[in-house]
Amino acid sequence: MSRGQGRIIAVDGVNGPAIVKAARAAAATIPRATRAGVSLWDASGLFGDLMIAPPAAGSPSARTLVLVYAADLAFRIRWEIRPAVDEGKTVVAAPYIATVVAFGRAAGLDAAWMEDLLAFATRPDETLHVRARPSANAGGRSGFVEFGRECLEAISPAAAREIAPRTLAWMTEAARPPRRVSAARRPARGR
Amino acid sequence: MARPDFRALARERFTSPTRRRGFLVAFEGPDGSGKTTQRKLFKTWLRSEGHDVVTTKWNSSDLIKPIIKARKEARALSPEEFSLLHAADFRHRVEQQILPALWEGKTVIADRFLFTGLARDAARGLDLDWILKLYQPLLWPDLVFYFSVSSDTSSRRVTATRVPNFYESGRDVTNVDDPVESYYRFITRVIREYESLSVIFNFLTVDAEQPMSRQHHQLRELFRQGEGRPWSTWNEDAVAEWLALGGGRAAKGGA
Repeated sequence: MSRGQGRIIAVDGVNGPAIVKAARAAAATIPRATRAGVSLWDASGLFGDLMIAPPAAGSPSARTLVLVYAADLAFRIRWEIRPAVDEGKTVVAAPYIATVVAFGRAAGLDAAWMEDLLAFATRPDETLHVRARPSANAGGRSGFVEFGRECLEAISPAAAREIAPRTLAWMTEAARPPRRVSAARRPARGR
Repeated sequence: MARPDFRALARERFTSPTRRRGFLVAFEGPDGSGKTTQRKLFKTWLRSEGHDVVTTKWNSSDLIKPIIKARKEARALSPEEFSLLHAADFRHRVEQQILPALWEGKTVIADRFLFTGLARDAARGLDLDWILKLYQPLLWPDLVFYFSVSSDTSSRRVTATRVPNFYESGRDVTNVDDPVESYYRFITRVIREYESLSVIFNFLTVDAEQPMSRQHHQLRELFRQGEGRPWSTWNEDAVAEWLALGGGRAAKGGA
């Protein structure tokens, strides 16, 4: 994605309603002149269509869900994010890249594969991690991780139970700043 | 409980000398190359030879196909979205149809395989390496029959009875309003991509401008030469991932 003068603030997490709430709060702090609004999960309606598929169609695996997420994100970038950035505005993307990468890792997918898959999406200028824990009773319409949990339930109930906490753990791990190496332990740079 | 070694299970299943292993044959080529006709003839012949045959078609999953169809009708797909959704459809069919059938020792005929996505999406200007990644973990067919025709022949056959639709004619990328002219330009690009893929992936090329019966007998011959090929260990990742999802449950239990 080519970049204008605008900014992308990503809001990622595992609790869909909490992500939306945090995204709206983040957007409210942006000066009105540069505020472009919030780009939300499933703006394309792809997941909405998956929800009404007949049970006989089979449940999508984590990998299929990541591909559909990428398609939804491509749609959001084309219609909501890139136009705002090109106009020099600040857009809040909720969720953006970190959520799906953590979800995929929690499901056992290779991080490098997801990074390559999502290479079309510009890295955000800022990422806010919503720490709210997953809601046990939230339905699939409330967010991507909740939807993923419902889909995985049909494949492996045990994996479905673990997916949200593990996604949160991967997200926390990814957000941790890189460990510093002290000068004394740094390897010598030649002679 | 220790996690099973899914790669070892895959190898054991597909290299066992005591059972007929699953065999995957892909039919590839531009529209109008006669693939579907040949695929039907080939399927009938395989059945007469005692194979248990399953067919899978491009963009045909009950889960994703309706989603793609609605967006194609609305002309709402960018090349990236088009590519990602076809990869999602493909992955779902791999997990729900293709691998279960191969695991059971069936012969799967794919009327178009991932090479269709590669050729069409590259013709739409997407990076081939990126497109290939969408289809990982890769599942390689045992044989790929490539039905080769010229752009002229493909255009003549396709436009003889109908007007190619918006995406089929590549109007989303050619900027040409006339569907017939756009189709010609787009299929020329697609064929160029197919020709490159044919070299890279060792397609078995069938001259689809020959008479139908000659093509069919060539397929039989190529299949007989190729059916003894060993299972490709490149497929271990794809099978192992499917097994980890719970695929092949009955077989893992010793069936």
